Amino acid sequence: MSSGEHHAPEDAHQHLQAIHEPPTDFWSKYVFSIDHKVIAKQFLWAGFFFLFVGGMEAMLIRWQWAYPGQEVPLIGKIIFSSSNGEISPSAYNSIFTTHGLIMIFWAVTPLLIGCFGNLTIPLMIGARDMAFPKLNMYSFHAFFLSGVLVMVGFAAPLGAGSAGWTTYAPLSTNVGSYGWGQSLLIAGIFVTGVGTIMGGINYIATVIRLRAPGMTWMRMPLTVWGLWLTSILNVLFVPVLGSAGLLLLMDRHFGTEFFIAGAMAGEGAGDPILFQHLFWIFGHPEVYILILPAWGIISDLLSFFSRKPAYWYRGSVYAMCLVTGLSAVVYGHHMFVSGMNPLLGKSFMILTLVISVPAEMLFLNWLHTIWKGNIRKETPMLFAMGTVFVFGLGGLTGLHLATISTDIYLHDTMWVVGHFHLTMAAASFLGIMAGIYFWFPKMFGRMLNERLGKIHFWGSTIFITLTFMGQMIGGYAGQHRRLYDPYEYTFLEHLLPLNQYISYFAFTLMAFQFVFVYNFFHSMWKGKKAPNNPWQVGTLEWELTSPPPVHNFTTIPTVVRGPHEYADPVATKLLGRDWLSQTEPYPTAESSPPDPSPPDGELVEETA
Amino acid sequence: MNHLLNRTKHLGLAAVLFVVPSLAHAEVQPEANWYTMPRDMSQHGHRIDWLIDITTLFAFILFVIMCAWMAIAYIKHTNGHEAEYDHGNARKQIVKAGILSSVIFVWVDGNLFYNAMKDLDEAFWDFDGARANGWHFQEDGTVNTDGTLRLQINAHQWAWDARYAGPDGKFNTPDDIVTLNDIRVPENKTIYVQISSTDVIHSFALPNFRVKQDAMPGMITHMLAHTAEDSVGEYDISCAQHCGAAHYLMKGTWIVQKQEDFDAWSKLASERALTLYKKEISVDDEGKEQVNYVALNPDSEWGWTWKEK
Repeated sequence: MSSGEHHAPEDAHQHLQAIHEPPTDFWSKYVFSIDHKVIAKQFLWAGFFFLFVGGMEAMLIRWQWAYPGQEVPLIGKIIFSSSNGEISPSAYNSIFTTHGLIMIFWAVTPLLIGCFGNLTIPLMIGARDMAFPKLNMYSFHAFFLSGVLVMVGFAAPLGAGSAGWTTYAPLSTNVGSYGWGQSLLIAGIFVTGVGTIMGGINYIATVIRLRAPGMTWMRMPLTVWGLWLTSILNVLFVPVLGSAGLLLLMDRHFGTEFFIAGAMAGEGAGDPILFQHLFWIFGHPEVYILILPAWGIISDLLSFFSRKPAYWYRGSVYAMCLVTGLSAVVYGHHMFVSGMNPLLGKSFMILTLVISVPAEMLFLNWLHTIWKGNIRKETPMLFAMGTVFVFGLGGLTGLHLATISTDIYLHDTMWVVGHFHLTMAAASFLGIMAGIYFWFPKMFGRMLNERLGKIHFWGSTIFITLTFMGQMIGGYAGQHRRLYDPYEYTFLEHLLPLNQYISYFAFTLMAFQFVFVYNFFHSMWKGKKAPNNPWQVGTLEWELTSPPPVHNFTTIPTVVRGPHEYADPVATKLLGRDWLSQTEPYPTAESSPPDPSPPDGELVEETA
Repeated sequence: MNHLLNRTKHLGLAAVLFVVPSLAHAEVQPEANWYTMPRDMSQHGHRIDWLIDITTLFAFILFVIMCAWMAIAYIKHTNGHEAEYDHGNARKQIVKAGILSSVIFVWVDGNLFYNAMKDLDEAFWDFDGARANGWHFQEDGTVNTDGTLRLQINAHQWAWDARYAGPDGKFNTPDDIVTLNDIRVPENKTIYVQISSTDVIHSFALPNFRVKQDAMPGMITHMLAHTAEDSVGEYDISCAQHCGAAHYLMKGTWIVQKQEDFDAWSKLASERALTLYKKEISVDDEGKEQVNYVALNPDSEWGWTWKEK
């Protein structure tokens, strides 16, 4: 793919991407902005809001499991006024349902894909904006609308949707869930899906069409690779979820019976299994949608902060492509106990186990990247290593679930919850944080405080690990998920102390996030002014000012090498620094007398 | 709403069946340790326990290696340590990575795959074996103790109906034993369970027996449970699939009895079962007597003919 790549002549690139005048009034600057950097921030703020909502819901769930049926302190009387400050069983069901959906679609998706996708793709490939800036704006507006639908759902007369994040039919139909809450939730998923597809098409087109001259596929930062592959999965599989959601809404409001069967169905019975197929055809790629960008980000950061080239760059690319492909054909492992044909089940087991090969390749590449490096222990690096740590735990504990016989016991237990929280929640969260600490200077022109960042890192990583490993132990002991009061079961009575400890860990984890909130807002206004290239890395965005101008690149740069050129002994000697930018010519003794100051501050304008 | 109204009748039916001679049994006992799986009461549970534990051990070894690797790099390869200019794309390095990945794959995943297939074929999904082993009645009407016990479970919000074939060996006939949340089985036995649901998806889980199977409305699913020798006692039946507001209360009791206790109970219970039907005798056109059983309680009419596959 790298050689013989056809590129539009440079001139065409300059003309193709017009330089727009910066907007001046409030509305076109902040609300109807078509600037990818502003849209990235819109997704960032929206994502933070929902991360907070979903996080507080997690605290309520933990409260219920530690002190079942007891009054929630401080906020109980306000939120649960009708049940005397206690969480009622149906309120609890709404809480864990919306916790899951909000965290996936309205917190991790906007932060990891909406924010970093918008921010980094044009900057890292050398484009002035997205391929379709207006579509980009609509993408956020659709997302915003979907968020409103979900929040309005909390005010529905019978409470928010409560059929679980999987919204399995027939529980999510009128057979099991009455009222507008569930409908609003499904509608919200549909609308956010529309936004995701618009964003996904945009990312795919941008990466294919707007790479700067010389930015071949194999010179792209791995962050861009991760986001691009994620977008492909989004565009392919979110429509499947959308169709399932629409059919579900038809079942709820127009009397169809696509997913209703058995005694509750009328004459023409539908098929609840059909919903599971549709859901998981989307649902399994979704877990990779939520982790591929994080893989990309940490693959880059581990190299940047080890001051060493990314180990076997192509291997990482191939591994991520392989995972993307495999993710589409393994979904059946979510249905091992649904009554699937045994042969089909066994086929899905093999395919699922095969995913460990590319995963191992990625891990080996990460470990080799930091080995024999010169590690800079700055906050983004810590978060990147933390991501490897929790993803290692999460990945390895997935083995038990990929295998039918062990999954039969572990299915629907807290083991599953612990496993996917380590991968989708902990790894995505730490990956997001790695990205935020890394690109904050490019977003806001200031640095986050390092000391507070380190406190935030250690607090988050330790307690997120303890929380989700604790859940895994609960699952091993047999605790099923989604139980309002697990101790109703005699065989789970003895797990109350365990769950109380997990809850303390979770509360502590939440408390540490306020360090981040303070750091974020304080640094945004009063932080140290960021130089253009605070981390001394060679990707294109660091050649721009912090924050970059509206049109990013006055002259579209020409790329001459890959993103991970560190510790080149010849260049280091000649330049007096251990990194090469993606655009500068390779130094020779004549052309570059040793210059201790890095090219920091202005655009590097040169021809290849 | 109909089935909600029926709930009360249902309980009445169950109450009838619960009034059987005291076959003294212990209550469900709490588990001892938070860090172990529930007591294994299945003939084949040890297979799953071993596979989970050995895989956890392998995963732990890999995880420790990974952590040690990161820790050494973090502590030693820092503070001006000279970074190696290595892109890791030499043929030798790629081959090494390939071999390492393959070894881990064959070792950990291979072990899982081999044992899982073996365990499924020999035990958990050995439906052909369970069918062949069958359910036989002897001349005197007692149950062949070597056979497979067949059981139908119908789940609904938020309880478990159970149905046994009764002395005629056929399901959906008036001598069927029908119970609610109280499922009795003999020890040292394979139990072939067919499961369905009235309303939403439930999941019939027996944590002490390491098995679970979803109950799907409009569909019959199959599950095998194996009670071990000396497994007499009471165990929780848990619903593993979110099924609505009282999901957490959807528990039943799986009572393992000695074979003779079970036989005595089932004999008595199926006699009682017949009293829940009105026997109507009519004469047809050819002068033959036709016996019709009309259920006095419509709730006992949820069964299906046994699916032989």
